[in-house]
Amino acid sequence: MRLGLPHLMPQAGVVIVDFDADLIQRYDCSGPRYTSYPTARQFESHFDPERYKQEVAKSNDDPVPSGLSVYVHLPYCSSPCFYCGCTRLITRDIQKVARYLDRLLQEAALQGRLFDGDREVQQLHLGGGTPTMLTDDQLSLLWEGLRNSFHFSAKGPEASIEVDPRTVTPARIEAFRELGFNRASFGIQDFDPDVQEAVNRKQDATHCLKVIEAAKSAGFDSISVDLIYGLPKQTLAGFRATLDTIIDARPGRVAVYAYAHLPQHFKAQHHILEKNVPSPGTRLQLLALTVELLARAGYEYIGMDHFALPEDALALAHGEGSLQRNFQGYSTRAGLDLVGLGLSAIGHVGRVYAQNAKGMQEYGSAIDAGRLPITHGLSLSDDDLIRADVINRLMCYHEVRYQDIEHAHHIRFFDYFALELRHFQPLVDDGLLQLEPDRMCVLPRGRFLLRNLAMRFDAYLPGHLSGPVYSRVI
Amino acid sequence: MVKSKTADKEAVVGAIDARGFHPKLQAACSTCSLSQLCLPMGLNQADLERMDGLVTRSAPMHEGEHLFRVGDEFKAIYAVRAGTYKSYTVDSQGREHVLGFHLAGELLGLDAIYPERHLCNAVALDTASVCVMPFGELRELAGQIGGLRAQLLRLMSKDISDATALAGDFTAEERIAAFMLGLSRRFEQRGFSPKEFNLTMSRRDIANYLRLAPETVSRVFARFEKDQLIAVDRRSIRLVDIDKLHQMSLCMGEMHS
Repeated sequence: MRLGLPHLMPQAGVVIVDFDADLIQRYDCSGPRYTSYPTARQFESHFDPERYKQEVAKSNDDPVPSGLSVYVHLPYCSSPCFYCGCTRLITRDIQKVARYLDRLLQEAALQGRLFDGDREVQQLHLGGGTPTMLTDDQLSLLWEGLRNSFHFSAKGPEASIEVDPRTVTPARIEAFRELGFNRASFGIQDFDPDVQEAVNRKQDATHCLKVIEAAKSAGFDSISVDLIYGLPKQTLAGFRATLDTIIDARPGRVAVYAYAHLPQHFKAQHHILEKNVPSPGTRLQLLALTVELLARAGYEYIGMDHFALPEDALALAHGEGSLQRNFQGYSTRAGLDLVGLGLSAIGHVGRVYAQNAKGMQEYGSAIDAGRLPITHGLSLSDDDLIRADVINRLMCYHEVRYQDIEHAHHIRFFDYFALELRHFQPLVDDGLLQLEPDRMCVLPRGRFLLRNLAMRFDAYLPGHLSGPVYSRVI
Repeated sequence: MVKSKTADKEAVVGAIDARGFHPKLQAACSTCSLSQLCLPMGLNQADLERMDGLVTRSAPMHEGEHLFRVGDEFKAIYAVRAGTYKSYTVDSQGREHVLGFHLAGELLGLDAIYPERHLCNAVALDTASVCVMPFGELRELAGQIGGLRAQLLRLMSKDISDATALAGDFTAEERIAAFMLGLSRRFEQRGFSPKEFNLTMSRRDIANYLRLAPETVSRVFARFEKDQLIAVDRRSIRLVDIDKLHQMSLCMGEMHS
């Protein structure tokens, strides 16, 4: 079943959003985004890389070993965007980047030899930082290195790259396509010059549109645009103009992230003045505007921050039931083992999460010693797997069929979650979700509160969360 | 000493024995649900109670722990009580050859009677345990109980016939279909679902046992899944179209170990 936005009712060209501001404000609290469950906060430090290796060996022994999804983290940027909460390093020294690339390829070799030769890389994602800070030659070196360490099929993986429009030209975009990339996501955030100034990311709209257009003509299968709402100096009028421009460019996917102002956690955010950050009321209006404009333009709401045109692979995967939450948001393929390469990258194989060192020195010295740079991680318990499955279904399909969970995990849903379900009545009364005899189904009003619903199944949250630990729900 | 009345309540009868089983636990064939599998037919309640006197139970063994190795002195026949064991040899080139997989109620060590030494290795594939039947006492008892003697001969004969099952010129599909149906039947005999089970053996072991490449095993599993004969979720297998699998495996007969 495809889930559009049934609560958006087109009436003579006007789209009414059933956007209950009071409700959303009432539920607005801090909460994880559930790009994984348990979340990275639960990872143990001093996690033994041997545990990861054992799990990989075990996954090789499955009757049909899963394909692989490889994530490569390229942390370098040439200038800091003030909103950024990613693991990244600012440099203009291309030698540093070259040295990092060298270690990355050594790490790929260490990892690649753990996996059996028939385990095909079906997905590849280059994230950052700024992957496009690498030169074309460096990118091609990286691609070749990965292909030497892992098994690529003749037709190659679904390969995506995060593009900083400021670092590319139409010619470079074509070069990426020739190298094998077939998906690109462009970091736009907001075209409003005042906002760009306030976040230290100035990029000319005309240039951005030119490179997006280049990706279209180069034959990328999917083009995604990242926007952020809640940025300093952002206004409804300005963001509406940005949305209109993007909708005109018609990328297959649009991700609209909420800016989380957590300067105590992210150093760069100290440059953003609290007084310039939009009020919760304005944030809500920005979100409502986003949803309205995108829906009116024919984008389907996938979940959390993601929208896609009906013909895009993400929307198709949503319809076919092969969607999965992952560290980049959503993935079109479920069931792949995830290999994380590079600083702070997270891998997920079988029942194990493994995260690389977050400091360059620690990362570098492990690689130089021929060791996997894994420092954090978690072995999942049966309970973790059950809850992860429920949360993934809520996030991806906005419904949980009890039978699916019972069948997959050999439990009785109502017995297992008796405690959780006891506290569901307020959610039902508020119209966020419906408890049917065979399934739990998120209602239109609950679609933008998926985190709140997922949090009810999170065994690691002590009661209700508060405090500025996580980003805000909206 | 008082013998336990149920299989799950054993009394400790000794400290660590020569084989490293500790503590040594008294088992009770007379109340064991698996006795119909390892000691079927012909044994009356009195015979079973005599068996109780000689059978002891090993402590649980962990994945990768060996029950015996090639060259170990032959002392006892083992009946798998829980979990799965793999029997295998290693050739002079260091290559492993998987001889079989042994589920609860199946016997290990019969091939060691003649040479009085174990000719293969037996390793636990998951948390597993065995009942230990010291061979001297077992032989003595078999002399007195005709049904037990017949059963031992039957099981030895089955071992020999199983060994020849794989020798034919069968396709990978036929081998894998027969292997899965064999497992299915064995699980059913043990009171488990014949349609849904977990594979405790790795694809490498399955491949080795069936004389196939691991990649081939995966390709065939994947094809069976695509053709909706089976559903695979990591180690968990569901047989969707048993009839079709049966047709495929007909020329081979079923596999028993």
